[in-house]
Amino acid sequence: MKKLKKPALLILSSVLLLSVILAGCSKKENSTGGASSSPSSSASASPDSSPSASEEAPAGWVFGSEPLAFSAYAHYGWLDFPADMAQVPFWKYLKEHKQTNITAIQAKGNHAQLMTTMMASGDLPDLIYTDRYHPDLNRLYEAGQLVAFDDYLDKYPNLKKYFDKKYLDILRAPDGKLYKFPNWYTDHPTSTAGYVVNKKIYEELGSPPLVTMDDLYNYLVAVKAKYGEDIIPFEPDRTQDAQGIGLIYAGFKEGALYQSLGAMLLAVPEGDKLTSIFTDPAFRESQKFVSKLYREKLISQDMFTQDRGKVQEKILTGRVAIYAGSGVTTWGMQGDMELKKKDPNAGYFMVWPFAKAGLDPKKIYAGGYDALGWNVSVITKAAKDPEKIFAFLDWITGPEGMSVQFFGAPGPDGNWDGLDENGYPNFTANYDAVEVADIQATNDPVMIAGNSSYIDKAKAKYEDTQPLENQNWAARWQRDITWPSSNDITGFRNNLEPPADGELGDIRQNTLDLFLQILSETATAKSDADVDRILDAAEDKAQKLGYQKLIDWRTERWLENKKILGD
Amino acid sequence: MTQAMTKQPYSATPPDPGLVGKKSWLSRLFKQLDIQLMVWPGLLLIFVFSYIPMYGVLTAFMDYNVFTGARIFENPWVGFKHFEAFFNAPDFDTLLRNTLIISVLKFVIGFPAPIILALLLNEVRHMAFKRVVQTITYLPHFMSWVIVGGLVMSLLSTENGSINILLQKLRLINEPVHFLSMHEYFWSILITTNVWKEIGFNSIVYLAAIAAIDPHLYEAADIDGASKFKQIYLITIPTIMPVIIIFMILAMGSFLNAGFEDILILAQDPGLRPVSDVIDTYVYRVGLQNQKYSYAVAVGLFKALVSITLLTTANYLARRSGNSLW
Amino acid sequence: MKRLGYSDRMMIICIYTFLTILSITCIYPFWNALVVSFNEGLDTAKGGITIWPRAFTTANYEIVFSDKNLLNAFFISISRTIVGTISAVFATALLAYGLTKPYLIGRKFYVLFFIFTMYFGGGLVPTFLLVKSLGLMNNFLVFIIPSLISVWNMIIFRAFFKSLPAGLEESAQIDGCGNWGTFFKIVLPLSGPIIATLGLFTAVAHWNDWFMPTIYIFREDLMPVQTVLRRLLNANLVADQMAGFDGKTAELMAKKALTSKALINATIMVVTLPIVLVYPFVQKYFVKGVMVGSLKE
Repeated sequence: MKKLKKPALLILSSVLLLSVILAGCSKKENSTGGASSSPSSSASASPDSSPSASEEAPAGWVFGSEPLAFSAYAHYGWLDFPADMAQVPFWKYLKEHKQTNITAIQAKGNHAQLMTTMMASGDLPDLIYTDRYHPDLNRLYEAGQLVAFDDYLDKYPNLKKYFDKKYLDILRAPDGKLYKFPNWYTDHPTSTAGYVVNKKIYEELGSPPLVTMDDLYNYLVAVKAKYGEDIIPFEPDRTQDAQGIGLIYAGFKEGALYQSLGAMLLAVPEGDKLTSIFTDPAFRESQKFVSKLYREKLISQDMFTQDRGKVQEKILTGRVAIYAGSGVTTWGMQGDMELKKKDPNAGYFMVWPFAKAGLDPKKIYAGGYDALGWNVSVITKAAKDPEKIFAFLDWITGPEGMSVQFFGAPGPDGNWDGLDENGYPNFTANYDAVEVADIQATNDPVMIAGNSSYIDKAKAKYEDTQPLENQNWAARWQRDITWPSSNDITGFRNNLEPPADGELGDIRQNTLDLFLQILSETATAKSDADVDRILDAAEDKAQKLGYQKLIDWRTERWLENKKILGD
Repeated sequence: MTQAMTKQPYSATPPDPGLVGKKSWLSRLFKQLDIQLMVWPGLLLIFVFSYIPMYGVLTAFMDYNVFTGARIFENPWVGFKHFEAFFNAPDFDTLLRNTLIISVLKFVIGFPAPIILALLLNEVRHMAFKRVVQTITYLPHFMSWVIVGGLVMSLLSTENGSINILLQKLRLINEPVHFLSMHEYFWSILITTNVWKEIGFNSIVYLAAIAAIDPHLYEAADIDGASKFKQIYLITIPTIMPVIIIFMILAMGSFLNAGFEDILILAQDPGLRPVSDVIDTYVYRVGLQNQKYSYAVAVGLFKALVSITLLTTANYLARRSGNSLW
Repeated sequence: MKRLGYSDRMMIICIYTFLTILSITCIYPFWNALVVSFNEGLDTAKGGITIWPRAFTTANYEIVFSDKNLLNAFFISISRTIVGTISAVFATALLAYGLTKPYLIGRKFYVLFFIFTMYFGGGLVPTFLLVKSLGLMNNFLVFIIPSLISVWNMIIFRAFFKSLPAGLEESAQIDGCGNWGTFFKIVLPLSGPIIATLGLFTAVAHWNDWFMPTIYIFREDLMPVQTVLRRLLNANLVADQMAGFDGKTAELMAKKALTSKALINATIMVVTLPIVLVYPFVQKYFVKGVMVGSLKE
């Protein structure tokens, strides 16, 4: 054996040494996996003699009375719970005042694969926060990894008080038990869909009526005639997902749902059945209308190929005459603020959704709202104290928890101090609107059990004491237009997604792909006859893919929902 | 790369005659222990990190439930079910066609481009200019596709997009063209953007190869009166040919990888699917977003088999030129 | 200087022109990102920023550098890149050299053994479970050990080593050098360009990797730059479908949403500049004529 040369050996060993040192530093805290659920210290026997928030028996564990520690994971690519509790006011409060220690498991952008590894290795987080019907929730349920909380429901006051029982029933799993704790459930409309109109252009064109689809068409023609290339007459948002032009669809039939163009439904309710979207006369009519706008350059020619930043750009610089989408109040407000900086008479306002001539505008809905809210939290079998975590969620969704999340810590120096006889916060003289806004914005990622029914009233309690001028653009148009022009679509947004593995899951994906493709093709078609031709061919293809099966299955689930909701 | 210098084939005469021939296999092994020891650590590492997990390939033939983790045999065996599902995908032939066409285009245009860039850079005498150009052209590789896609979409937009404005000014068109929605333009846009993004980075290897060429050869050619063009053709290219061939063989093996992130970003308009959907984008939509784990593994296995076949063929053909992987 | 022929001069002019145009197109996106990163978020959202900031501000960078994990993240990323690159290049080169010897018993089998893994692999779950069982979770070594051998790089090294003239090896052997000695004293020093190239590729791969930390690292002090900045972006971007916001909150959140594009560009600059600047240093290894004089014919 020949000897190795010394210099090379030296380099090699120093490199190895460096890496060993770095590894050694990390070996000290070598956790076993993705979810380190630290056991809660002092696990006491189930306490039932502590004072509870309501007089009903039997009382549950009082959140904050003892230390509680668990791991929490947000199953999203764009959202992570904070690694350090002090980074967010709400969790800081929990740590300091409620003896709670939450270890955040972070996806750091790669949630799908992280979840796969957690499921495969059996290291699940204690609490998972995700979309209500995420396929992974179904997998966790099928594998028996979720903890049901039917037993806890009666022990804790808030969820059952603020969340209607019939909605709870919709949320139940196939085995009849409850696993999902809802977020942002509501008893009133929350939709922010609608049409936003550029005020200056409107006035310059003589403020014509904007009620029917014909009015819309004539208006867009006038805009193009006067402003040429400088102004985009009609700017739909998120067209690739059928959102912007979905509003037009809703204007061609009373009670039409723009959700019929959405992935979760992709069908049209007719009486007691769901029918094909491809054969729906209203859809054909609306796509013919859209393609006409496209051919005459009255609608953004880039609607399928631009990124959203471009849409925002055009709104902020006043280069659109009408902007439509399913969430228009944010940019509408920003645009209004921007344009008013240069000209106080400029800005944006909203109009009632356009309707085909002859239809009752009151039955035209720009958007819908779902009483169950948006996403959910579930507790997994990995949790050492599932009931305590449920108590935690219940506290968050109650008056005290919601007030802390929205207004900060209570106290004479804070923005609120104590609750009044109705359970709403007593705002103090120190109430600082700017600070409150900042608190809400920073707490946003950890608001996982929101109670819109409660908090909107609490906020209104404060806002109503303010003069009308201070009420802002978004609030005003939500109250005047977007909320009244939306309908309750809870029955159409729950339990209508088939399991991802399985024949129906495949049909769902294939028909969705087909739909999105023809949406683009018909919106840019060269003639009305083309629209019919494309849709006829699409119906054929959809049937071959098994579309009818999917519709029938969804019809069944929808009717079940209706029964539970008592519609 | 320096084979021009000497005609001797590599290591034709092994150092120790005792290492070949009639001695027994084991004693030969013992004698070459030092060389074997160079190889064994690598073998061990690859064995551990690539071969031990390879049982995962079998999940392509099962309905794999992720919760079984490594205990894959608890899952039901379904044979070729996922493969059939893949081949029976709606528009499967379109998928395959797009994948092959895009791959071929990317190869035919994207493979020579960095080589040509390296050759051009080699002709630059001004060292500062050369270094600057080298560094700048390698920048786009570091821009994510999201950024590059955004820029391309901006450039080609019908509302104030620079390309449309330019073409209209030059009176080549009357109205803005919807480049990003039209089937006819998609492949060109995709290939051009791809080539532009990677040309600088991919040329680095060829630049390194060219740097190893003996400058005396060029001096001799100059004296003989050969033009630059001839010099490139007769000296540079033959000398870096081994590198080119190796990369070409490796490229053959990636033939079913027609692209993924770039297509997702540039084909925003769902109307483009008939020309833009390739195997990987389809599997992403159908397989991975719905967490159909076994399905994705099955397709991956299919692609691997095709790749290995292509690779073997390419290698066999290249053997005749003396440059092959094995 | 030799006089260039007419056709040669034309060619040179064309080449310079083409390279200049190409460089302009390549640098524009990068320059634009730099400009936008120094522009106010709200102003950026109105579009139209091209080659110079319209509303100059350092606010975006202030947000980026306010993350107290950033400094440590840089340390981790740099360590990982240096240690990872040196060890991987060395390990792979050694392996490649061993595989060049035609008298190596089992050579063909070995080569196929490696090439096979370029196309067939177990996938995410088996690999993850293996890494976990080796105790590499939450451990710096997870960045180093699994990527020590790159088959792709090994193939290129091997091709390069094979092309070195046999004469060099023979004279080394005659002087009493063994195979290891030859490797360290002769072959490696002559491999400047190829080590620089493959070292650069490896370094880039290490620096840009965001995937491994997402499933293997869960402690703050081991987070690399890519991850920390991605999280920062997520925290500052607002999901505009959140229900329940109106009043002053919406205004503030709207402001935060507006900073997104400018902030994204600032993070891009911070993440990309370090690795981009490595290349100019590496270029000096692409020196012509490194082989001249090594062999006396």
